[in-house]
Amino acid sequence: MRFLQQTYTIAAKDLRSEFRTKESLNAAASFALVILLLFSFAVDPTGPMVREMSGGLLWIVFSFAGALILNRAFARELPNDCLDALISSPISPAALYLGKAIASFLLVLLIEVLCYPAFGLFYDINWTNNLPYLILVSLLGTWSMSVVGTMFSALTVNLRLRELMLPMLVYPTMIPALMAAMKLTTVLISGEPLSDNMIWLKLLIGFGIIFTALAVALVEYILVG
Amino acid sequence: MRDKILYILGLLSAAWLTVNLYQMLLVLPDELRQGHIYRIIYFHVPAWFTCFSAFFVGAIASILFLVKKDYKYDTCAVAAIEVGVAFTCIGMVTGSIWARNQWGIWWTWDPRLTWAAITTLVYFGYLTLRQSIDDPAARARNSAVLAIFSFTSVAITYKAIDWWRTQHPGAVLDFRTGGGQIDADYQSVLYQNWGALMLLAAVLVVIRMRQESAIRAIEGLRRHAHAR
Amino acid sequence: MDSRNFTYMFYGFAAAWVILSLYVLTLVGREKKINKQLEGLRRMLDDKGGK
Repeated sequence: MRFLQQTYTIAAKDLRSEFRTKESLNAAASFALVILLLFSFAVDPTGPMVREMSGGLLWIVFSFAGALILNRAFARELPNDCLDALISSPISPAALYLGKAIASFLLVLLIEVLCYPAFGLFYDINWTNNLPYLILVSLLGTWSMSVVGTMFSALTVNLRLRELMLPMLVYPTMIPALMAAMKLTTVLISGEPLSDNMIWLKLLIGFGIIFTALAVALVEYILVG
Repeated sequence: MRDKILYILGLLSAAWLTVNLYQMLLVLPDELRQGHIYRIIYFHVPAWFTCFSAFFVGAIASILFLVKKDYKYDTCAVAAIEVGVAFTCIGMVTGSIWARNQWGIWWTWDPRLTWAAITTLVYFGYLTLRQSIDDPAARARNSAVLAIFSFTSVAITYKAIDWWRTQHPGAVLDFRTGGGQIDADYQSVLYQNWGALMLLAAVLVVIRMRQESAIRAIEGLRRHAHAR
Repeated sequence: MDSRNFTYMFYGFAAAWVILSLYVLTLVGREKKINKQLEGLRRMLDDKGGK
């Protein structure tokens, strides 16, 4: 019970701090919209091809914008030695990690809520065909991204080249979840049946479970030593 | 004494590799459909097996380091993983050349190859991470965690041909299929070359471990020298 | 088919050996760098000790 309380406290703290300044939310949102715009120049935005590309395009946007948010997860604690204070507090490292992962998860979800309508607008695509399943895939994919990204944010927090190392480590590890999310999103937006692609859904769920377990078990070694 | 053993083992592996080369190039007959090119299997498969073994050793050493906090495990982990990365490159390049000849393409995104690419990328990331952390304690801890994470991709790459239908050929060796998929002579030379490459890898790992210990000693000495 | 397969086989074997050699060369290079650093440090410590 105490573990959940601690997790909730950390998540609430991060969200509250982020909503006060909105610095990374603004940056990520602008970045996401700019990429969507740029892609519309790269491909013919109203062609038939866009429907096939929709999943890939959307999840690339989410990954890039998400990297900005995930980087901040632990980096926000660096000024004034806040990270040291958090680590030496009675909060278990796993609760600290989980709270930050949940906060990042919610923030990236916010970006996605902004991006889907923008995508529908720029590319003239109706993305609400299978809305409940689309929401499910978004939740699962974003959770996988948060889990891996927050973990590597903890790993790279003290590095000079943090902004470079985080994407370099996160993206290869995330490829299976990203592939599954892209494929499923394309399927759902194109209106194809989900039943043919259940293997991807299972992959996404399995990835989330395995990496959440691994991360919660190992984060203590990164933070505390 | 240890130097001498290392030297002898190195020569032994070189000799064994040479004997195998003779076997695979001059003794064994051609494969029915592929002709000469199939002989690449004697380097392609053993290189990947050696690479997976090296990454496995790296993961175990990382776990041991996190549990026991003894730096010799960290030294072993980085050495094993670096040698593993070298063998990954061999596996990828030989596979690509073979694919170009047999399938007409240098690369394809079937599950086996995709996971092999992921494995290569995450372990290159491991080496890059190690280079970017200066503090030895943090470097050892963080790279140990990364090595454990990254080993999941090795396990999935290995099982990829069982779990998915891939363009990459399925399992042929006896220990995976129960027998009958590959000629006994071919298989024996394959295992022989795997043995030779494992021996070579072991020698390289020990050399790399000694270098890592020397680098750690230098860092300590440097701190000592500048402190005065 | 045969001669092209032979060429590819040759390239494959060559690639394996070249990559192995490159790695061994990096090990050798690193060894030299380590020895040089050790020499420099020993000299620096001797100088400081001698003062």
